Amino acid sequence: MDNYLSQVNAASFYLIVAVVLAFITIMCFVFLVKCYKAGIKIGMDPAVLKKTITSSATFTLLPSISILLGVIALSGTLGVPLSWLRLSVIGSLQYELNVAEIAAQSVGLTGLRLEELNVELFVTIALVMTVGILGGLFFTLFFLKKYLKKIRQNPKKEKSGKPGFGAHATTAMFVGLCGAYIGSYIGKAVPREGSDIMPLLVAIVAAIAMAVFEILIQKKGKAALENFSLAASMLIAMAAAVGFGMIL
Amino acid sequence: MTEREKYLEQFNNSLHRLGRVTMLLSMIILTLVPFVFGAIYGVFPDGKGFLAGYIKVAMIYLPVSLVEFLVYAPMLGVGGSYLSFITGNVTNMKIPCAMNAQDIAGTEPGSAESEIISTISVATSAIVTMLVIVAGVVLLVPLQPVLQNEMLLPAFNNVVPALFGALGLKYFAKSPKIAVIPLVLMSALCIFVPSMINQTSVLIIPSGALALAIGFILFKKDML
Repeated sequence: MDNYLSQVNAASFYLIVAVVLAFITIMCFVFLVKCYKAGIKIGMDPAVLKKTITSSATFTLLPSISILLGVIALSGTLGVPLSWLRLSVIGSLQYELNVAEIAAQSVGLTGLRLEELNVELFVTIALVMTVGILGGLFFTLFFLKKYLKKIRQNPKKEKSGKPGFGAHATTAMFVGLCGAYIGSYIGKAVPREGSDIMPLLVAIVAAIAMAVFEILIQKKGKAALENFSLAASMLIAMAAAVGFGMIL
Repeated sequence: MTEREKYLEQFNNSLHRLGRVTMLLSMIILTLVPFVFGAIYGVFPDGKGFLAGYIKVAMIYLPVSLVEFLVYAPMLGVGGSYLSFITGNVTNMKIPCAMNAQDIAGTEPGSAESEIISTISVATSAIVTMLVIVAGVVLLVPLQPVLQNEMLLPAFNNVVPALFGALGLKYFAKSPKIAVIPLVLMSALCIFVPSMINQTSVLIIPSGALALAIGFILFKKDML
């Protein structure tokens, strides 16, 4: 286990990730400069453009820290470099963890469990996580130009009528996803050979923490907590798991 | 066509070119990373395991990606879309950030000005996130021995239940009518067929399909 963790936290992995992220950061700079210049050219006020930069930077600071908490949560099993890469580009914490779990089971593990992992399984899991999220990029790469052109030609059609099922479809899909996982924790907690109540207890603590955050956000108007509710609930539940580990 | 329109058309085309080239390059580089990781230790991703995992992931996330693309691309515009889909955290960060910037700038939705603001906003947001995470990772490195302590093993082994406990509460509270049947059925299945417990990667497919079907029926009946 120690060997696996030191392998996936190797200095060379950090270097590879740093190079990839440097490329994407440079790309962001190129877009930023190009659009800034275009804004000036079409007569936009430079003060407005500068304000966009400062307001976006401050707006992003807090949610970025919550992503960092996600890196900590993921790094315990997948190491810091891969977690750093995955949460800096394309995905989000919930996608990465769910896909890592699916990939772990697909390579024959019982789940994303440290004692079952080795570096060969790790690279397969990393590949599923990477390729699995490329769908959005694929659609953008091939269809963005045509799609935006079409939308701009028929702007009224976009605004009329009640919203379609699309907006609800993603929510429904995630409800189903959560139902399957929670159902498996309930099944696992039933006393019999090989049962384990820990996942259910951890899920319950996370749900209680999340419920408290939801109450604070919706009833007490603490909207700023929204950025942290998921990562913080997870970390509270993970801390509880350490406590349960000592008792059980 | 006025001078301004001509310039904007040229600008838009050049943004598409830049976006496509950098996006394609990013896709190739990111896909290579696991192979390079493996090459360092002389191992290779397992093709069969990859395919089995990818099919399950694609069944869930391809439709989600399509919906996100259709809904978010018009809000983000050309540059904003390329950057957002590469740098991720679209729903929880890039969209609110771009909307907030457009609000502050007071630009009209769909106008060239609004697209420029959106791209500048998304680019800034992505750069700031990268920097914050880099700073965090630098701080995290010395903490490695603490994080790898045997005592913390239950915490990291239960990171997935922690995620779905929190996420479950959020989504079940949002759509209790959709949630009841999949949750009860999946629990019953795992209680009575214990071999399904470690097959959540398979279970999520019928459970997701069932939730989608229930959602669709409720939507048609105007009950959502």
